[in-house]
Amino acid sequence: MRDLLTALSKSRAQQGFAPTETALFVFSLKQPMFEHLSGSGEAGNDVLDRVWRLNRLLDDLGLYTTEMYQRGRESIIQKQQQELLDLSTPVVKLYEQILALPLIGTLDSERTQVVMENLLDGIIAHEARIAIIDITGVPAVDTLVAQHLMKTIAAARLMGAECILSGIRPQIAQTIVHLGVDLGDIMTKATLADALVMALQRTGHVVVRKQG
Amino acid sequence: MRAEQLPIRSPDDVARVRQAVRSRAQAMGYSVVEQTKLVTAASELARNTLVYGLGGSVEMQELEDGFTQGLQLVFEDQGPGIDDLDQALTDGFTTGGGMGLGLSGSRRLMSEFDIQSTPGAGTRVAVVLWKRAGARR
Amino acid sequence: MSERIPILKMGPFLLVTIQVELHDQLVLTLQDDLTEQVARHRAQGVMIDISALDIVDSFIGRTLAHIASLTRLLGASTVLVGMRPAVAITLVELGLTLPGIRTALNVERGMELLQRLVETDPAAGSPSDAC
Repeated sequence: MRDLLTALSKSRAQQGFAPTETALFVFSLKQPMFEHLSGSGEAGNDVLDRVWRLNRLLDDLGLYTTEMYQRGRESIIQKQQQELLDLSTPVVKLYEQILALPLIGTLDSERTQVVMENLLDGIIAHEARIAIIDITGVPAVDTLVAQHLMKTIAAARLMGAECILSGIRPQIAQTIVHLGVDLGDIMTKATLADALVMALQRTGHVVVRKQG
Repeated sequence: MRAEQLPIRSPDDVARVRQAVRSRAQAMGYSVVEQTKLVTAASELARNTLVYGLGGSVEMQELEDGFTQGLQLVFEDQGPGIDDLDQALTDGFTTGGGMGLGLSGSRRLMSEFDIQSTPGAGTRVAVVLWKRAGARR
Repeated sequence: MSERIPILKMGPFLLVTIQVELHDQLVLTLQDDLTEQVARHRAQGVMIDISALDIVDSFIGRTLAHIASLTRLLGASTVLVGMRPAVAITLVELGLTLPGIRTALNVERGMELLQRLVETDPAAGSPSDAC
């Protein structure tokens, strides 16, 4: 019986039913039983009726607390997910007017949206001219991820900042070419260090090694 | 879930639709980016209703799906309708001197997009933006 | 009687700060006024500050692109400054990346950019060097 209920709850949760709806499904078995009882006993129908109504009320109250409990947990989980996302996409100021966004791990569309927003907010906060997006730590780039990167770069440009894409490993370069993704006139560099040098040059700096 | 209906008969109505969508989205706690997407899509679709549909209305309704909240906007007109929906949803297609991003662009901005059109009878576009949440199904 | 967005003249440049919600007609009027004034003053650059705008839809975006092309034909570069992050994200999702328009973070940077453009190319160059 428990196994059956567990399986039922799981499949219902996957289909997106609220816990209340699932519990109600089980509780709905009560009514025919009560009807059966009231049909068999001639006396006490009045009592049964009152018991039934009381029963319904208590069920509703219990279900309500379950629902609220679940919502509370869901909002905590959501908040933690958000915090995790923010943590995994830091925007770092490398130098005056130069930001870096070192991306690590898989980029899905949810995360890319957070990345995009963090970067654009960072551009405002640091008055950045150049943002380096480093994808050394990104294991794979598919068409969708490439498109997300292009969108981020396009949005930064609309705000008046240039982006340099760095850390494109050979396999990823191959994938990008293979997918036929047009990176257009986006500035790319092999490493974050190369990108930093480029960014410094573009913001009017000269990098020289001190003699001796 | 209150529904609110607004007429779209003039350019001023389009501006009013934008304001109404903005304040509803704010009240529902959408992020600034989500608010901007909603208002922009509303602006595109309201303009379509006015320019191509020769006027109509929009109905705003809050939705809830157990995991998150959404705002639904349904634009309706009794205009000439659209002959070829696929073509109308293609980037760059336009009959009204626009850039042809109104429909296709709004579809990209929203979580859900549904369009029904009967030539000679009118067009109905329904869009929903669900609040961004990790637990979307 | 009809609403207009004021255009300020600063030396060889024209400055527009949009501080009201843009109706379609208003932005079309701005396009006409700007082209007329660029021609009249032989302006070398135009800066449009949209930091107060909370949305730019395809109509406004398209008209801004038109303004940039028109002023370029008349010998002036247009720089768009102050676009908010949410507006930029939405425009890109909408499918408008405005490739022909130069951009800057704020008015100060926009002015720097205009000055540089005028110095390096007195004829106010093409957008291809914007990167």
